Amino acid sequence: MPDYLSPGQDAHHRRLARFALCVTLVFGALVARLGYLQTARHDELSAVAADNYTKEERLYAERGTIYDRHGRVLATNRPAFDLFVTPRDVRDVGALVEALTPVLDLDKLGQIELRELLDTREPYARRTPTRVARDLDKERVTLAEAAGERFGGVSLEVKRQRTYPQGSLGAHVVGYLGYPSAQDVRERGLVSGEMVGRFGVERLYDGALRGAHGYQRFVVDTHGRRATAPWAAQASQRVGALHEPTPGADLRLTIDARVQEIAYNAMEGYESGAVVVMDPLTGELLALVSKPTFDPNIWSGRLTAAAKREVDENPYNPLLDKSVKSYFPGSLYKIVTAVAAMEEGVLDPEQPIDSPGAYEYGNRVFHCHKRSGHGRVDLNGAMAASADVYFYKLGEKMGIDTLALYGKQFGFGELMLGLNGESSGVVPTRSYHERHSPGGFQHGLSLSSAIGQGAVRTSPLQMAVAFSALANHGVVYRPQLLLETRQLETPQGEARAQTHDPEVMWRLPSAPPHIHRVRRALERAVNDPKLATGYRAAVPMGRVAGKTGTAQVKSLARGARDGQGELRWEHQDHAWFAAFAPYEAPRLTVVVFLEHGGSGGKEAAPVARKIFEAFHQEIEPIFDAQSPLDLPYARLP
Amino acid sequence: MKRGAGMSRAHWALLLVALSLCALSVCILQGTTGSAPPGVERAQLRWFGVGALVALVASQVEYHTLKRLTPAFYVANLGALALVLLIGKRVNGSQRWLDFGGFTVQPSELAKVGLVLALASWIEATPRPRGYTFTDLVPIAVLLGLPMFLVFQEPDLGHTLMLFFIGASMMSAERLRRKTAVGGMILGLVGMPLAWLFVLKRYQKERILTLIDGQVDHLGAGWHSRQSEVAVGSGGLLGKGHGLGSQVAGGFLPENHTDFVFAKLAEEWGLLGAALTLALYLALILSILYTAYTARDRFGSLLCLGVAAMVFWHVVMNVGMVLNMLPVKGVTLPLMSYGGSSVVTTCLGLGLVLNVHAQRHVF
Repeated sequence: MPDYLSPGQDAHHRRLARFALCVTLVFGALVARLGYLQTARHDELSAVAADNYTKEERLYAERGTIYDRHGRVLATNRPAFDLFVTPRDVRDVGALVEALTPVLDLDKLGQIELRELLDTREPYARRTPTRVARDLDKERVTLAEAAGERFGGVSLEVKRQRTYPQGSLGAHVVGYLGYPSAQDVRERGLVSGEMVGRFGVERLYDGALRGAHGYQRFVVDTHGRRATAPWAAQASQRVGALHEPTPGADLRLTIDARVQEIAYNAMEGYESGAVVVMDPLTGELLALVSKPTFDPNIWSGRLTAAAKREVDENPYNPLLDKSVKSYFPGSLYKIVTAVAAMEEGVLDPEQPIDSPGAYEYGNRVFHCHKRSGHGRVDLNGAMAASADVYFYKLGEKMGIDTLALYGKQFGFGELMLGLNGESSGVVPTRSYHERHSPGGFQHGLSLSSAIGQGAVRTSPLQMAVAFSALANHGVVYRPQLLLETRQLETPQGEARAQTHDPEVMWRLPSAPPHIHRVRRALERAVNDPKLATGYRAAVPMGRVAGKTGTAQVKSLARGARDGQGELRWEHQDHAWFAAFAPYEAPRLTVVVFLEHGGSGGKEAAPVARKIFEAFHQEIEPIFDAQSPLDLPYARLP
Repeated sequence: MKRGAGMSRAHWALLLVALSLCALSVCILQGTTGSAPPGVERAQLRWFGVGALVALVASQVEYHTLKRLTPAFYVANLGALALVLLIGKRVNGSQRWLDFGGFTVQPSELAKVGLVLALASWIEATPRPRGYTFTDLVPIAVLLGLPMFLVFQEPDLGHTLMLFFIGASMMSAERLRRKTAVGGMILGLVGMPLAWLFVLKRYQKERILTLIDGQVDHLGAGWHSRQSEVAVGSGGLLGKGHGLGSQVAGGFLPENHTDFVFAKLAEEWGLLGAALTLALYLALILSILYTAYTARDRFGSLLCLGVAAMVFWHVVMNVGMVLNMLPVKGVTLPLMSYGGSSVVTTCLGLGLVLNVHAQRHVF
């Protein structure tokens, strides 16, 4: 064999050539892969490389300021200084602890804890700044800075703290901020760690107040440190540098802080309730009070366990905005019954109707709040004395569904602002009862609905809209909170202001004489010398028109009602009073709601009177205006 | 000592290609930042000086002396490998280096040359013109298996495989009986799962799985491979410019002066520079194989084939790793990666090739 003789030379060479071919093919594969990565996947992998070295720092937008209608600050931002210590940088631990003792109000135990923190051996803890105090005042900041300069390791971080100069006054309407939940971060695209509106206007107009974040991008190395080497200079061209934040809009509310204060002070002596003060000619809300209140400065991110417990344990639920929650309206609802009955042609307002102390209907007896009854009264008398049987009879004639139709025309059952978990209330119909009442619909419910009991529920805010509609002869305005939005157009400070006009929801379809007839009856309900249940709301300067309401919360045997003082608070009646003034040319609608406050005439009416008087004396002399008595309704809006 | 006629004794093409690669290495290492010590390109230049001396000696040693020294060299190598396991320096969980007070030596690098010499001389001494049988393969398997076992104990899977591939490549130039070839294949197919189950360590399996699984685990075992792929891909056609690679300069891809130097090259000099470098390696390997082709005897031819295989498998495993095709294994790119053991070993191999070339006409 030649293979053996010339020690396999030819075959050996063939195999060497084969090996060389394999080598060449493998190199071809390497080059192919190289080319694939550097051409086909170049863009994709360049993006990954950019991701590696790009760090984005968020630039926070300044949250807008909230003003009242006259420019008083209700909510704004101020710098807050947080104090940090970095153990590694401290030159003299003992001296620093000593120097920080007055800054942090440390006791012996606190000193030991701080010393332990500063003496840690753990490398990560040594180089990481730890927060030891939040929101130091100016004096302490100066002390802390001095301590840091001498002994090292102290740093201060400035952030923006939301602040509410009016404190607890108007807390419900202005609201407060909170940290977003994980769900908010996921679903609303919020930034965790940055506060958002949780309540009140802060929440309702959060989008406008918050503005839009900007960002600054720069090039970092693998340790996250900002890189300045030549490669970074080249990379930063790709990164792009700066995107300015858009500051949040400043809001001017319809609220008048002084009216707010007047309304709040007028409720003195009552633990729980709400007041709505509205301009009946525009729907602008001048005051929106809910009691008891809370301090939004504490609630906006600096809530301590003690402060939270105090609110949680308060039986009157300070965090509930009672001005927008719905309750039994009681006799206030008789305005609906009266207008409806005239429109339906079942009532001649001048014709006296017998109103005894009780009315038998079906197998039930419907009582009047006055057991002796009122005798024969016309609409004025019935409204003034709040004669229940008069309205039972009207309710019986019209039925619950007709009544509901008119109730809805006044705005009941309608969401007004969507503020603070506003409830739309209930305007019951036959089908409502069939769905929701345990016994289904019974005809007697038409009667109780006619005096605002049964299942009727309205909020003080809705009541203000309804009484304003009577005051202005039939225009149902949407309550307005926002007067003006000011948005900075450029960072240099050019602002664009947008004013918000009153919004008419609709006009009452009822005939103007019918509306006016009810107005007259309301005037009597305050000023009738003999019958008026609302006489405690009367003012010497002019005429108030209004209605008392004493809404029964718990059905009790009539006999037990006399001992009301001994009832538990939550079983007592709601006291209501709703009014507008001056009667001739109304300028102000006031609704007072005292939760379980007792009698509307005795308790709520005086609160309204205080507000009318104080408004007249301190804000604007509304009763002095030269206005013709009983201005012809045709000339009003 | 017999000498051929003057200049024809030197292998000019091979020298030129090798020197080009050395120059390229110094260039790419210049300005390396991050994990590399400063002035790494000068240190590399010094190693090239040492390597040149080694190559000179290796090329001038008398041919028969070389054959005679082979057993001693092989045994000395085994001794060094055993020594590593006893007193070696531990780095990143494996024991691969011998510390000589100031500089360290990686015996598994030199072991490759020892293996090439041993196999070449054994195969020449026991010609099997009708092909190898299983029995014939046993001593070869022992020669191959001893250093493989010791290196695997360090543990260094990369060099274990490297030794195996070099041995296999050298045997590819020999004739196997058909039965032996088929049997070997079956043995391999059975052996691989067994190795997976009983031999490979957890982190080694993870690296392999990462590669098969795609880029699932960017922060774990696949992180290096992924960052390397990103470096290469973002380099594009012409690269980001010398010293301007964000992946290497920003420290996102460590080891960019040693194992991942090719990633730096591809990122900063682009497809153009990287493909050119691969072409130089192909030229180097082919010129070594040409020397094997023209060698005067089987020993010289197999010696050259072994060195060619060594360079080839180093390039394939290193570049394959950089291009995220093969598991990361700490295999250097010959002449390009910074490191004394690697440079000196490659130079030693090339010196031996030059020796064979110089002796090609001498009988």
